[in-house]
Amino acid sequence: MLKIENKADIFHYRTLLFVLIFSILTLLSRYFYLQVIEYERYSSKSKVNSIRAQDTYAPRGLILDRNGVVLVENYPTYILTVTPYKLKDINKQLQIISEIVETPIDELLRRYKKYNQGRFLPTIIAKNLTFAEISQIEERRLELSGFQYKRFDERLYSDVLKDAHFLGYLRELDRESLSFLDKSKLYRAGELIGWQGLEKQYESELRYSKGIEYIEVDTYGREINNINENNIPAYPGKNLILSIDSKLQQFSKNLLIDKKGVILISNVNTGDILSMVSNPSYSLDIYRGETTDSSWNKLLSDENKPILNRNIAGLYPPGSSFKIITAFNLIEDGLLDPEDSLMCTGYYSPPGSSKTFKCWKEDGHGLVDLNKAIAQSCNVYFYETVQLIKLSDWTKTAKLFGFHEKTDIDLPNELIGQIPDKEFFINTYGRWGWSERGVLLNLTLGQGDILVTPLQSLRYINHIASKGKTPKLKLNAGKEIEYYNEIDLSKQSWDRIFKGLYDVVNTQSGSGWRAKQSDIKLYGKTSTAENPHGEPHAWFNGFFDFEGQKYSLVVLVENGGGGGAIAAPIAGKIVKFFTDNQVEIVEK
Amino acid sequence: MSILNNYFFRSNEYISRLYLIVSSLTTFGLITLYSISNDPLSINSSFIRQIIFIIFSLLVFFILSNINVKTIHDNSTLIYIFSFLLCLIPFFLPPVENTYRWIDLGFFYIQPGEYLKCATIILIAKYLSNHQLEVKEGYIVFIPILIAFLSSFLVLNQPDLGTAVIIFAPVLPMMLWAGVNGFTIFLLITPVITIIAASNNLIFNIWGVLMFIIFLFFQGSFLKRVLIYFANIFTGLLFPFFWNDFLNGYQRQRFIDFLNPDLDPMGSSYHIIQSMTAIGSGGLFGKGWGQGSQTQLKFLPVQESDFILSVIAEEFGFFGISVIMFLFFMLIKTLLDIAFKSTDYFSSIVIIGLSSILFSHIFINSAMTIGLMPVKGLPTPFVSAGGSFMLLCFIMLSLINIFSRN
Repeated sequence: MLKIENKADIFHYRTLLFVLIFSILTLLSRYFYLQVIEYERYSSKSKVNSIRAQDTYAPRGLILDRNGVVLVENYPTYILTVTPYKLKDINKQLQIISEIVETPIDELLRRYKKYNQGRFLPTIIAKNLTFAEISQIEERRLELSGFQYKRFDERLYSDVLKDAHFLGYLRELDRESLSFLDKSKLYRAGELIGWQGLEKQYESELRYSKGIEYIEVDTYGREINNINENNIPAYPGKNLILSIDSKLQQFSKNLLIDKKGVILISNVNTGDILSMVSNPSYSLDIYRGETTDSSWNKLLSDENKPILNRNIAGLYPPGSSFKIITAFNLIEDGLLDPEDSLMCTGYYSPPGSSKTFKCWKEDGHGLVDLNKAIAQSCNVYFYETVQLIKLSDWTKTAKLFGFHEKTDIDLPNELIGQIPDKEFFINTYGRWGWSERGVLLNLTLGQGDILVTPLQSLRYINHIASKGKTPKLKLNAGKEIEYYNEIDLSKQSWDRIFKGLYDVVNTQSGSGWRAKQSDIKLYGKTSTAENPHGEPHAWFNGFFDFEGQKYSLVVLVENGGGGGAIAAPIAGKIVKFFTDNQVEIVEK
Repeated sequence: MSILNNYFFRSNEYISRLYLIVSSLTTFGLITLYSISNDPLSINSSFIRQIIFIIFSLLVFFILSNINVKTIHDNSTLIYIFSFLLCLIPFFLPPVENTYRWIDLGFFYIQPGEYLKCATIILIAKYLSNHQLEVKEGYIVFIPILIAFLSSFLVLNQPDLGTAVIIFAPVLPMMLWAGVNGFTIFLLITPVITIIAASNNLIFNIWGVLMFIIFLFFQGSFLKRVLIYFANIFTGLLFPFFWNDFLNGYQRQRFIDFLNPDLDPMGSSYHIIQSMTAIGSGGLFGKGWGQGSQTQLKFLPVQESDFILSVIAEEFGFFGISVIMFLFFMLIKTLLDIAFKSTDYFSSIVIIGLSSILFSHIFINSAMTIGLMPVKGLPTPFVSAGGSFMLLCFIMLSLINIFSRN
C-alpha cells in the first residue's frame, strides 16, 4: 500500500454527512411540496396539457320540398388545409402542392393569405381533391408537414331545382366576415355559411351544431388516443321542408322557357308558396368547387340578369291590376254607384286640357260600369273615376295591400318597390312640375312611378282572394302561419271586385279569357304594363278554388306583350296542371 | 474464481452494500426506460440500448478493477494529460449539435469531458496526499484550484457549462477532507457568494458588511485579510461585465429562465415547466408504470436522460422518488463510510472526490427537474440512459472498488 495513512477525522466526516442529509432533505421537501401540497394544481395542468379539444362536424340540414323530394343535400369532398405553424418551408412545400393539385403557386398563396386565421388553425387552400391527389399527398407526407386533407361537405343541388334562386347558396367565410357573426356559433374562417336565399334565412336551423372531441396528443400534436368521456357530439342541422312543390315548380319553369319572367303560385289559406320561378336563371352548381373568374364575370355581366331573383328583387310597373286599387277606393268611399255606367269612346280628355288619353281599345268600350271596366280593363272608366279620388287616399289604399313594404317572406334581400306619394312627386318633379290629377291618370293604370315586385303582386292577389285576412307568404312549410294586418273593407267591396275578377276570365270579352279552364272557377286580372325597355310586360294575377283550398298565382312575362295574350294562357296551363295532377297538389 | 474473488467477492461489507445500491438504481432506471420506450424490445429502444451499455460498462468495470492503486497514483499526471488531450479531439472534428463535446465512435458517442472529471480528481488527490504537511497552510489550495480551473476552462469552451461546474464540485470536499483549514475554505466560497450577491445592490452591501465582520475575527496577517476582502468586493463589482461579455447567450438565457420560468413557456424554460407538471401531477403514489401522461405523450423533454427523475416522479409518485432519494443517500453515505474507513490517504481523498461528482450530478439533476436550478444537460448516475455517462459511472465504480481494497 501507499506510504501515507488516512488522516480523515470524524469532524470532516460528519460535516460532509450533514451536507449530504441536508441536500437530500431539501430535494425531498421540494418533491413533497410539488407532489403532495401542489398536487391538485399540477394534476389539472397536466390534463389540460395533454388533451386537445377539436371541433367535430355533422352534416348540414337537407332542404326538401313539400312532398319530401330532396332539393339540396350534402356531397362529400376532400379539401386540403395547411396549419401555418407546422410549416417548414412554405414556398418549397407549396411548390410540391402546386404540382400535385395542378394549381399555380400564386393562387395557392392567395388563398393561404385570404383564409389564414392564425398560426394554429388550419387554412383551406385546395378543394375537391381527387383520390389520386390524396394518394400523392399521402406519399409525400414527410415533406408536407402542416398540410392535411380532410372531408368537407359541399352542397349538392337536385337536378330538378338546381336553378331555383330562393334556395340560395353557401360561401366560405373569410376573416373579414367572421367578425360580424355570432361568436357563440363558433364560426371559423373557411367554413361554409348560408350566404343567400333560404340557406342564409335558415342558417341557424340548417347549420349543424359543432361538437367537441377531446383528443390526447403529444407535444407534436400527434393524436395518441381519443378520450370518449366529456365529448360533445356534433348534431346534424335540421332539415328544412319547403312549401314548394317541385313538380309544380318544374312545370311552371317549363312554361317560361325562352321567356324572361316570373311564375308564383301560392296557397292562399296558408301563405305557402308552391312555386317560385324566376327566369332566366343559372345553375347553383357554380358555387361548388372552383369556378373560374371568367365564368363568374360572364354570369355577372349577362344583361338578362340571370343572377337576379326577380320574384323578390325585380321591380316592374304593375299595370292594370292596379285598377282594382282605384275600384276599392271608389266603392269603399261611396264615390260612385258601381252600377253607374260611363261612356268609353276610346279616349279621355281631362277637363280643361287638350291632351287625350287613349283606352287600349281604340273604338271604345261603349257604356261601361265598374264590373265591365274591370273585366275588360277599360282605361277610360278609370281615368274618369280616379279624378274623384285624392292622391293620398289612393296611395293609402295601395299601401294597405302591402305595396311599398316587404312581404316578410322568409328570404333575405327583398325589395319594397315604390308607391309614389306627394312627397315623392315634389322631390322628383319639383313643386310645380306635376299635378295630382295628372299623376293619378298614370297611377290608376299601374303605370308611371309605381314599381312592384312580383311577390308583392302575389300578396296583393292573396289579400283579395282571402278578403283581407291573409296569411303571410312563406317558403318554409313548417313555419307557423302568421297574418298580415287585416284589411277591413266592406263585403260589398269584396263582392264587387270578385265579380269583376271572375268576369275577366269567364266572360267572352273578358281580358283574361285565354286563362279559362272548364271546371275551375278562376278569378284574375290581366295587366299589360308599359315600360321603357321595349314591349310591355305581360301580367296575370289570379286565384281559384281547388279541392277546398284557395290558390293564387302570378305570371309575369317580361317584355312579353299583352297580359291577356301572353300571361293569361300560361295561367290557364297552371290551373290545368292542378286538375291533371289532383292527387299530388292536395294539401297533405 | 480466485481472480474474480480478488476483484469482486473479496470486497468488504461496504462494497457489497454499494453493489446492491447500484444494481437497485440501474434496475429502477431500466424499469423506467421500459415504460418510456414505444417499443421497448426493439434493438433501437433506449431500454435495450441501456442493457447493452450496462453489459459493456460491466466488462470495462471488471477489466479496470484489475489495476491497482499504486499504478493509478504513480501515473495520475499521465492520466490527466491523456484525458485533457482527449478533450481537445472534438475541436478538430465536425461539431455535433453545434458543440465540441462528443467524439463519434460510430456506434457510440463518448464525451471526453466526463473522463476529465475523474482525471482531475485523481491528480488533485495525489497533490493533496503528497503535501499533507502543508495542508494547514493557505497556499496549498492554489494548485488544486489551478488544476480544476484548467479542466473546467477547457470544458467551458466546448461549451459545456454543466460539466465545468461539476469539475469544481469535488475541490472543496476534497480539501476539507485533506484538512485544509476552515477559513481558507470560507475564503474560497466568498467569491461565489459575492458574485451571486452582486446581482442586487442591497444584498451586495449587506454581504460586504457581513464579510467584513468575519474577516475581522479570523487569524492571518492584516494585509492579507484586507487584500482578500477588497478582491472580493472588486469581483462583485466586475461580475456584471463578465455576465454581459463573457457568457454565451444561451447560458445567460438558461440562467434567466431558471429565475423566471414563466417568461418563455415554449423556450428553454418549457423544460422546467413540463418537468414540474409531470412531477406535481404524479402525486403521492404516481400515475402508475407506463401511465404518466406527461411522459407518455412526450410533453416531457429528454425524458430518458436529463429528466428521467421526472418520469419516476410522475409514474411512481412521491413514494417512488423517496425510494430513489434513499438509494442516492445510501450510495453517497456508503462512499463516505468507505473513505472514512480507508487506511490509505490518497484512496480516501479520491473516493471523496468521486462521491462529490456523483452527488453533484444527483443534486443538480434533481434540483433542475423541480425548478431549483437552471437546466443543464446533466444525467442522473446509474439511472439515466446514455452510454458515455453510464460507462463513466461504472469506471468510477471500478475506481471505488480499487481504492477501497484496503
